[in-house]
Amino acid sequence: MKNNIRIERARIKMTQAELAAQIGVSRQSINAIEGEKYVPSTVLALKMAALFKMPVENLFELEPTD
Amino acid sequence: MKSNYLFPYSFRKIGWVLLIPSLLFGIVYMIMDYDIGFIDGTAFAIWGEENFFDTVFFKFIENDLTDELIGIALLVGSVFVALSKEPVEDEFIQRLRLESLVWALYWNYGILLLAIIFIYGSPFFTVMTINLFSLLLIFVLRFRVRLRAEQKAMGNEE
Repeated sequence: MKNNIRIERARIKMTQAELAAQIGVSRQSINAIEGEKYVPSTVLALKMAALFKMPVENLFELEPTD
Repeated sequence: MKSNYLFPYSFRKIGWVLLIPSLLFGIVYMIMDYDIGFIDGTAFAIWGEENFFDTVFFKFIENDLTDELIGIALLVGSVFVALSKEPVEDEFIQRLRLESLVWALYWNYGILLLAIIFIYGSPFFTVMTINLFSLLLIFVLRFRVRLRAEQKAMGNEE
């Protein structure tokens, strides 16, 4: 699964640590999600979409291998 | 986030304080052939042995309690270290926890399998003693290494 979190985060000039604190996870998790090493749960995906004020589909995208 | 059967983060420090000395002392105790016990006492045995090989049940017996104390401290210490929450125990950390536990299970029982095949007689008693504690210790090592790797991967981000 691909995601645009790093881009969206940069757009609103938010650090990984700030994003992590806002949605209540560790910074390692944000880093692993941005590095596409970890696919977050639906709850976390929706929290991030709400924070960036966009539908979750704009943030996450399925790949052919998913 | 819902119950995860873990101790509070603060228990980890208590765990290390119990784990490190009891592990070091336990290793020395084992190398010295269990000969440096110094806490003679009475213990209640549900199932025990007296005067060389007389089996007893539900009886107070004389016993050197050194190994009991080491065992308790080592067990409680490693459980606290292994099963205390991280400062932020989120779903990604929990996945690392699970992966580390599975990894530790394979290594622990893989090594035990080799020991069953290749180790005989009383040295196998040593293997069994180590194996009482090794699963948790291997897990702790693996989990710490994984966490550190994630910490490092994060280093060059702003």
